[in-house]
Amino acid sequence: MSRVAATILGIVVAIGLSAIVFIGINKLFDLAEKRFAIFNAAIGGAASLVIFGLLWGNRLIVSPLLVTLIAAVVGVAVGLGLGLVRHRWARLGIGLAGGLTLGLLAGSALRSVVWPSIEPLAALLGLAAGAAVAAISWQVARRETALVPLLSFWLATGWLFGGWLAADFDGSKAEVLLASAIFGLLAGIWVGTVPYPSGETRGGIAAGSRKYIFLAPALLFITATLVVPLARTIWLGFLSGTPRNLAWTGLTNYRDIFTDPGILDLSEWTLIFSSRLFWAAVILAVIAIGLGVWLGRSGGSGLGTGFSLNAGTAMLIGSAVVLFGFAVFSFIRGTIPNNLWWIFAVTIFSMATGLAIAVLADRAKGENVAKSLIFLPMAISFVGASIIWRFMYVARPPQNDQTGVINTLWVQIGVWSQSETASATISAILGLIVVGLGYLAWRGWQAGNNAVLSGSVVLAIPLVWIMYRFLGPGIGGVAPSPVTGEPIADPILFLTQSPWNNWWMMVVFIWIQTGFAMIIFSAAIKSVPEDLLEAARIDGATESQTFWRITVPQIGPTIGVVATTLIVTVLKVFDIPKVMTNGNFDTQVLANEMWQRAFTELNFGLGSALAVVIFLGVLPIIFLNIRRMQRERLG
Amino acid sequence: MTATTTAGRRPLGPRIYGFLRSIPTWVLWILVVLWTIPTFGLLVNSLRTRDAQRTSGWWLAWQDGANGFDFPTLQNYEAVLGAEATGGLANGLLNSASIAIVATIIPIAIAAFAAYAFAWIDFRGREWLFIGTIALLAVPTQVSLIPLLQAYSSGVRMTIPIIEKTVTIIPDMGLAGTIPAVWLTHTGFALPFAIFLLHNYIAGLPKDLFESARIDGADHFKIFWKLVVPLSIPVLAAFAIFQFLWTWNDYLIALTMIGGNRVALPATVVVASLAGEFGLREHLLTAGAFVITVVPLVVFFALQRFFVRGITAGSVKG
Repeated sequence: MSRVAATILGIVVAIGLSAIVFIGINKLFDLAEKRFAIFNAAIGGAASLVIFGLLWGNRLIVSPLLVTLIAAVVGVAVGLGLGLVRHRWARLGIGLAGGLTLGLLAGSALRSVVWPSIEPLAALLGLAAGAAVAAISWQVARRETALVPLLSFWLATGWLFGGWLAADFDGSKAEVLLASAIFGLLAGIWVGTVPYPSGETRGGIAAGSRKYIFLAPALLFITATLVVPLARTIWLGFLSGTPRNLAWTGLTNYRDIFTDPGILDLSEWTLIFSSRLFWAAVILAVIAIGLGVWLGRSGGSGLGTGFSLNAGTAMLIGSAVVLFGFAVFSFIRGTIPNNLWWIFAVTIFSMATGLAIAVLADRAKGENVAKSLIFLPMAISFVGASIIWRFMYVARPPQNDQTGVINTLWVQIGVWSQSETASATISAILGLIVVGLGYLAWRGWQAGNNAVLSGSVVLAIPLVWIMYRFLGPGIGGVAPSPVTGEPIADPILFLTQSPWNNWWMMVVFIWIQTGFAMIIFSAAIKSVPEDLLEAARIDGATESQTFWRITVPQIGPTIGVVATTLIVTVLKVFDIPKVMTNGNFDTQVLANEMWQRAFTELNFGLGSALAVVIFLGVLPIIFLNIRRMQRERLG
Repeated sequence: MTATTTAGRRPLGPRIYGFLRSIPTWVLWILVVLWTIPTFGLLVNSLRTRDAQRTSGWWLAWQDGANGFDFPTLQNYEAVLGAEATGGLANGLLNSASIAIVATIIPIAIAAFAAYAFAWIDFRGREWLFIGTIALLAVPTQVSLIPLLQAYSSGVRMTIPIIEKTVTIIPDMGLAGTIPAVWLTHTGFALPFAIFLLHNYIAGLPKDLFESARIDGADHFKIFWKLVVPLSIPVLAAFAIFQFLWTWNDYLIALTMIGGNRVALPATVVVASLAGEFGLREHLLTAGAFVITVVPLVVFFALQRFFVRGITAGSVKG
């Protein structure tokens, strides 16, 4: 129970503290106009706290708590004084007294590791540089600001660097007291000579500060967790060594990445052209072009180029592209090709299935139920999904019953394929369906409906192929035993058989992301203006023509957005390979490679370089996004 | 040609054609079933004993009783939630809740303020700052992991150029391996998307509203609380659900930032490490996976409307 209590306490403290700090700062700046003294006192206290906190954090002061508290009190007093007193010399006196007090306090508390042995030359140089900066900024401000505060501020800064930080830290107690007293006095002159703000200025502080207060937390977090780490990762990418001892080695990490055959292996690329996938792709492409051109000539639904783009030809072209891609990626191996394969397959399949479901479900009965069940995997973690699919993919030894859905079906198909009667029955059923599709194609042709015609033909192709496999060479998960030659179960080793295990893991991602694509396409389809569709129907366009000529162009920008979002998500895929294979069996991806190099082997240099490679992958998309927003917002 | 039912017998041709025309609906529902089977199978298997899981597929669970196995049984859940088996999935769930709640509320607040400033406070360089913020949306998490872990484990130091002295900007606060490190990381990573989403909505609120409030003497802070927050509830809810699911389901950040500190690990990491064993306790995985999935599913079904709105608003508007 105490764990529960501690957790709740942690949550409350974290949220409560953030709220108090934020609301407190807002309320504080509300005071700037009407109760300037309180506001100024708080600012004074905060400034001392920051300075002494920094010294404390650097472990540079003795009895830090006491010293910091005293400093905060002095800071509050100085702030309060300057917030109340308007007389010029009295203000200067308060500033000098406060500065000297804080300077001496710091000087007496600082540890000997920062006692400077002041070098007059460096000190003079620092002061001169400070004066120069002050003069320049005074000129830039057209001499409209007060000179003394500006000058004293920059002199204090110059002294800090030239007189103190540039010196060797082997000085005496007297020197550290002198150094900090001079700094305190100069800083005191600065705060003491800033004129008491007029009512207008105070109102300006209260109102003008709001944008900074509202933006500060966000910008602070973004800078600290994204901008600075990004810059540092790029820098670390050029270093090598152990985490505590990194040295500059230039592009070595990048050379290592691109010469590692585990990351990029092009040696088997010639095999692509002798693979069955490649030739299947070529055949499909030829059929697609033939069908498209023929339909484009005979029917009226060409795109003006004589090529008929409709459900059937689109499916054929899509299949040809996919098969070609898979042919390429099953022979060009390594981490980077794996990532490209992921991007290729997940983007195409998620978008195609998502779009298909969005179209099929549009105005269908039970649309909402169907859509929410397809969308459901989006809510499941990648870890959960990986485990869910591990049980789908289970492969048990041949002598056991299969317990995974897919292998059970696969082995059953194999058993049927071995039996003459089952093969004949299944082929007969498939044949009937093909005949039905043929009839549909004929009706479509008569009605001049290219989509029905070509769609039926295309759907018949895989059925005919399956028929052929059943009647001819056989299909499914049964193979002769290597020992006895008897046919035994031959389940697919989904997660260990390279290179297709990559694809089976992509299926998990597609299972998740299809819902995302569907929901967005669905929204886009519903936002296509009804009168446009109505007008097309009145003009006698078929469903397929309205879809390809009106809906698709209307949702064009959405297709781009979904594609870029998917690419960005897929490029950094980590959880699924990590949980399912941990990158073994040739399934490594960049994000997991990076994680292993950086956090298992503690090779921060190589890990950073790999992170930069991932970053370079999204860079074009970032660039595109910036250009798009520039057009939208800056005109 | 339409498939309306008529009293008389219709010729065979149109009937077949009508049936074939209904294929799209069939395809849709077949896809829905395919999409649901994996999750459903996991749920059924999680209620079966270890031996039952290893003997037959989940679709044969109805025979378990006849084969001498308990079905349905909660013994996997009892085992996986017990501290002995997994190093405490119950403890992991608490950590997940802590991570998800804090890393949802804090980014919403921060992003809402920033979105309001970007939308309704004029200042120089606003457009560029906004574009720069949103551009970071696509930056992959991986580029931040190493420097952030270094910062959490040993603070932030900077060497001042020329004088070659190193200054500690943030001291080592021992954040590595703790939940606050995960809070901070999630908060930072969530902000670009949160600001983008909330800004789209807040910038679309009617201008007159702000002007009349200004005339009544309300300052930005008051306008924000009294006008913007109540009017933005839908988009705040949408982002909250999105972010809650994201942080609850996160694996990478928790694994990296908490690492070896088993006490602080969230449920996803606990279950994933169980999956990495490939051993005797594999049957517990079903229950473990279902346990970490239940919370998102409940959130999803209860608040689906907001979730969908958040995702579509983030993408369609572009």
